[in-house]
Amino acid sequence: MSAPDVRSLYDEIQAVRTRYPEGTRSAVLPALRLAQERYGWLSREAIEEVAEALELTPAYCYSVASFYDMFHLEPVGRHTIEVCTNVCCALVNAQAVLSAFVRELGIQPGETTPDGEVTLRAVECLGGCSTPTIVAVDHRYRQSVAPEDVPAIVEELRNG
Amino acid sequence: MAETPTLVLAGAEEAPLRSLAAYREAGGYLQLERARAMTPQAVTQELIDSNLRGRGGAFFPTGRKASFIPSPDKVARPIYVAVNADESEPGTFKDREIMLRVPHRLIEGCLIAAHAVQSKRVYIYIRGEYLAEYESVQAALDEAREAGILGDVEIVIHRGAGAYICGEETALLESLEGKRGQPRSKPPFPAISGVYSSPTLINNVETITTMPKVLELGGEEYAKLGAPPDSTGTRIFCLSGNVARPGAYELPHGVTVRHLIEEIGGGVPGGRTLKAVMMGGSSFPVMTPEDLDTPLDATSLGRKGYFIGSGVVTVIDDRACMVQFALRAGQFYMHESCGKCTPCRVGTRWLVQLLRAIERGEASERDLELVLDVCDRMIGKCLCVLGDSDAMIVASCVTKFRDEFRAHVEHGGCPFGHDSQLDGLYAPVDQHAHAPAAEAEALV
Amino acid sequence: MSGAPELVRVTIDDREVQVPKGTGLVETALAAGIEIPVFCYEPRLGPPVGACRMCLVEVEGMPKLQAGCTLTAQDGMVVKTARTSEKAAEGQNATLEFILVNHPLDCPVCDKGGECPLQDLTFRYGPGTTRMRFEKLTFEKPIPISPAISLDRERCILCYRCTRFSETVSEDGQLVSANRGAMTVITTFEDQPYTGPFTGNVTELCPVGALLPTQYRFEGRPWEIVNVPTVCGLCPVGCNISATVREGKVKRILSRNHPEIDEGWLCDKGRFAFTHLRAPDRIVDPIKRVRRRGFEPISWTEALDEAERLLRGARGRIVTALSGSETVELAYALGTLLRRGLDSHQAVLPEEVSSALDAYRLPLSAIREADVVVVLGDVPVVEHAPIVDLWIKAARRRGATILREVDEEAVRGAERVVLIWSGPGGRGGATVAKLAERLGLAGREGCGAFHLPETPNGRGVADAWAACCDEEGSEPESIGLLVVSGDEAAGDPSVRSLAERADAVIAISMFHGLAVGWADLVLPGTSYLERDGTFVNLEGRLQRLRRTATPPCPDELEWISQLAARFGVEISPHPAAVFAEVSERVYGGLAFGEVGERAPLRGYPEAPEHVAPEALPEHEPKPRAGDLRLVAYKPLFSGAAVERVPELQFQRPSAEVALARADARARGIADGDLVTLSSNGRALELRARLSREVRPGVALVAAEHAHGLTGSVSLARSTPEEVEAP
Ligand SMILES: Cc1cc2nc3c(=O)[nH]c(=O)nc-3n(C[C@H](O)[C@H](O)[C@H](O)COP(=O)(O)O)c2cc1C
Ligand code: SF4
Ligand code: FES
Repeated sequence: MSAPDVRSLYDEIQAVRTRYPEGTRSAVLPALRLAQERYGWLSREAIEEVAEALELTPAYCYSVASFYDMFHLEPVGRHTIEVCTNVCCALVNAQAVLSAFVRELGIQPGETTPDGEVTLRAVECLGGCSTPTIVAVDHRYRQSVAPEDVPAIVEELRNG
Repeated sequence: MAETPTLVLAGAEEAPLRSLAAYREAGGYLQLERARAMTPQAVTQELIDSNLRGRGGAFFPTGRKASFIPSPDKVARPIYVAVNADESEPGTFKDREIMLRVPHRLIEGCLIAAHAVQSKRVYIYIRGEYLAEYESVQAALDEAREAGILGDVEIVIHRGAGAYICGEETALLESLEGKRGQPRSKPPFPAISGVYSSPTLINNVETITTMPKVLELGGEEYAKLGAPPDSTGTRIFCLSGNVARPGAYELPHGVTVRHLIEEIGGGVPGGRTLKAVMMGGSSFPVMTPEDLDTPLDATSLGRKGYFIGSGVVTVIDDRACMVQFALRAGQFYMHESCGKCTPCRVGTRWLVQLLRAIERGEASERDLELVLDVCDRMIGKCLCVLGDSDAMIVASCVTKFRDEFRAHVEHGGCPFGHDSQLDGLYAPVDQHAHAPAAEAEALV
Repeated sequence: MSGAPELVRVTIDDREVQVPKGTGLVETALAAGIEIPVFCYEPRLGPPVGACRMCLVEVEGMPKLQAGCTLTAQDGMVVKTARTSEKAAEGQNATLEFILVNHPLDCPVCDKGGECPLQDLTFRYGPGTTRMRFEKLTFEKPIPISPAISLDRERCILCYRCTRFSETVSEDGQLVSANRGAMTVITTFEDQPYTGPFTGNVTELCPVGALLPTQYRFEGRPWEIVNVPTVCGLCPVGCNISATVREGKVKRILSRNHPEIDEGWLCDKGRFAFTHLRAPDRIVDPIKRVRRRGFEPISWTEALDEAERLLRGARGRIVTALSGSETVELAYALGTLLRRGLDSHQAVLPEEVSSALDAYRLPLSAIREADVVVVLGDVPVVEHAPIVDLWIKAARRRGATILREVDEEAVRGAERVVLIWSGPGGRGGATVAKLAERLGLAGREGCGAFHLPETPNGRGVADAWAACCDEEGSEPESIGLLVVSGDEAAGDPSVRSLAERADAVIAISMFHGLAVGWADLVLPGTSYLERDGTFVNLEGRLQRLRRTATPPCPDELEWISQLAARFGVEISPHPAAVFAEVSERVYGGLAFGEVGERAPLRGYPEAPEHVAPEALPEHEPKPRAGDLRLVAYKPLFSGAAVERVPELQFQRPSAEVALARADARARGIADGDLVTLSSNGRALELRARLSREVRPGVALVAAEHAHGLTGSVSLARSTPEEVEAP
């Protein structure tokens, strides 16, 4: 998307730290996000790198990362598709939309296509309840997604 | 009822009011100037006079909360303002509308709140999934900073990473401190010891964004709007579910649920009838049709055992199986329980196991009692109210739709067959290795 | 800070109590004789977390049940516990039911069974049956989180005691919780073992059988064991412990909270090293060197004859090498035999001992209350006296300033100042005492100084040796006989060189491989866990050691007494009687039985002075320009006992050199690089570890990896060719 970042992860994390009072651990979440953006997921090495930059233990950073849904502790696909299946979307047609993705991608929720391209996940309410079903494609919301929209979305990702 | 103007979303009814120039044209940041000309105590007094109450769910008087913050000469530590933009309660999407449509009003509110409690640093905690919303607020913040509006106040946006519990105020503070988002035991309350053990004023986005309007109208005038004395002013109601025109509608407190659903929302589509309303959010008892004429204010709702919560009104039509509905709500809470306290960590999972068994027709009448008993044993015993919330909505489904639950027991399965739109619903918790329903049949 | 604390009146279950305002409600109830059951509450782990909900009580004026552990006593508070409130009883029953939903009921095969708080509370407050009929959470179990500790996640009730210990007491940040909600588990990072000086404490903190010492697995049931109160003899702190004994064998070491010394924490050496008692190379019979035939076990009669012969032949020319791990009584008995019976007054201890610090004595717990703590010396405190490190950490958490050198301004501005000398050198405390005097700490409340010695009972041994005879001998011209007392002395290279100068050597040693090979006569030694007697710790506190296990050989006092008789010297084989004699001269006549189960810190004005009080600070040898000063230290996890415990091998230091960041940066060295240390043509290759704990200018290497290199060393990153070379 953007020009390759010449700054090291270490430097980026140090920059983030300045936003918070000294001696606090507030930079942990932003630092983990930076690492994940760089490597796609939080591997053992990525967590160790974050820990080193923040002067914390890898165990601590792992403990925090594993609490939050958006941090991936296993490899994920190049793209993510997240379908809200909470009640507001479900009352309209979320299950049909999710099933359509399952059919189209040939994988179950929580899995990644064998070619490593797409990870499909069911997620909790994304706060788009007035335009169900909400599908976050690479973290951008698609509103009012219906089952018949699914093939086009998958097609778009496969070509993109 | 006299026509009440749009307040929080004013100027953004048609199109978002995103740029600083446009916001200024609509009178933006004038109230900040006025506030800064007033003493902090006077600003807090306006909030007290307005009887503005928290829009995050707990409905606590905002001015009073601000007045709990000690004055800077009484404490050695800096004072913080934290804005709760974690908005993850199922059915809630109003803060998102604010962040996308009137981000500058949110910034203005932050600065007014900071002035009221004499804070120099504001953190806005935005849920991690809100990307466009974050970008919108960040852009507004950059513009405001560039224009010198912040003065000596620093506003920092802190993004969450996917955890509903971080909306609970003390969990939010923990998360902001770079920890696992687990609630703290209270007291001490955040006003005395919040983020970094410093006094912290924490408010919901909508509450904060209302502040410029309180000053514009004056506290006393604001207090006349809506349904005084308790539910003053307007609120952005989040209408969703089986309704013709879902959306975020800013209305004065006191309109009835029926008015919102039928007049504004166009009623239940497809010739269906209304079976229930998820009222206030997923954390509260569901409403049954006979209560539709209840005015949307905390007092009237409270009299009937309902809560206004975060302004959620989700319409459930007659196709939906209420066991499946309760199960799905339960799965949400199981997925989101932080795991700190015993009753919530264990109870949320046990309830899912019980509801799953009932839904499949593998339960007995005694299990219905057991569900109610487990709920009872969770309520009032957890560290925060997440567990209570689960118990409240589940218990309300069992008591109010007991026939439907009983039918599952008697029928040996769901009597709706595949007709319910919630049938076979897959929940995120099913993705976990230890979910009680991990054996959930493959989809398709 | 000053003035008596305000007393408040609290009513609990209709009983009124008065306690200082702010006392925890759990303690307040206890004062009224009422138990509020708890799991997660443990005040030593910091502020309460209110997680388990076992302690629910009803408080007047509050609509909801409250977690009692998070409340503090306020005036006029009215509380009802489960005894008088149905609501609270229901709440507690609910909590137990929830806990038992996932807890496996495998009590019959659980090592915690019978001493398990969950079992006890279920018995008292819990439901009799379970209503949970679905699958419980299942996990792979038990998994080793280190060779010394196993974790059973199914039994875990997620009270977070263990992780709070790791985070806020030992501050190692290694044991954490992962995931969320029902899926939460206790874990280390990526299956790395839980490593550190204090890990074993989590096995005692865990209120269920989730974290257990592997050494104790299936080793005993509560009705088969006795817990014998004694004191750890492996370092100068002298933590109070209980030894769990079954059929005469030590099976486990538990802490026995002495609030002034250890606060109930133990280091892993103290907790896990006890299996050295049954090391395969333990010496159980006397061994004699026989010309051309090597070594032979001999009978005790032969051994005593042989010892008598050697002693007699060297009268007046015997030198004794002491370990500093002898009991006061043993040292006194040896001294009596050799000094009074054989005119041989010369003894060497591994380090100097001074009484100069007696004017600056404080309990260790005073460190936590200090405003400024000055830690001097090059060796990390934790390697010397591990528990002291926890007290310093506690002080830092309370807001104290921790200094690595004397900052006169900071010290003079502070109310309570504590100085700590963490060797090497320091002249047995004289150096730091002098400094305390210069800083005007004498007689000031909360101010004091500590010297961290190498030996566990150096002070007691030196006092006893000095007290047993009034004569003073001169140094013999040649050494007729060297008596080597104990394994530390037997393992000390300088004692070896003394032995080379001696005509003959008698050694008292526990293990083959230490003295066997160069001593003429080796007599089996015993361990601190097998001895009765007293120790003096680094605070100057006299403590009582109890025999917990039967040694495989006679106690030293027994045969010393017999041997002494052959030289016309009377010395009792009973520690109590020997102590009475020492006490007359050193401890003001205190009786053995009065030393105390939790010994108080007393002053002993009769104690002999060892070093001139005007001892001056020694000058650190300055390294050559551009060089670093190599400090070779004795690591916590080293020594004859530790080497014999399989579960502790992973804790031993690796071949590395610890450096300050600045020193590393100046040489282009990164963490984990291979570096070469050289001095006088000798070189050593080690891996670099950057550490905030190391002072600039110092290269810190565990003695076992320093291979005798000392003093000024130059240090550089190894070039790849060197690394590849075999
Ligand atoms: C489980 C849970 C989730 C919550 N989520 C949110 C949320 O997403 N946004 C919010 O503003 N308040 C949320 N709250 C309420 C907050 O704890 C708190 O009451 C609120 O932020 C206070 O702001 P207000 O007084 O302006 O409403 C939540 C509470 C609980 C118990
Ligand atoms: S392992 Fe033990 S101490 Fe740790 S959380 Fe579980 S029950 Fe508590
Ligand atoms: S002991 Fe109070 S909540 Fe655990």
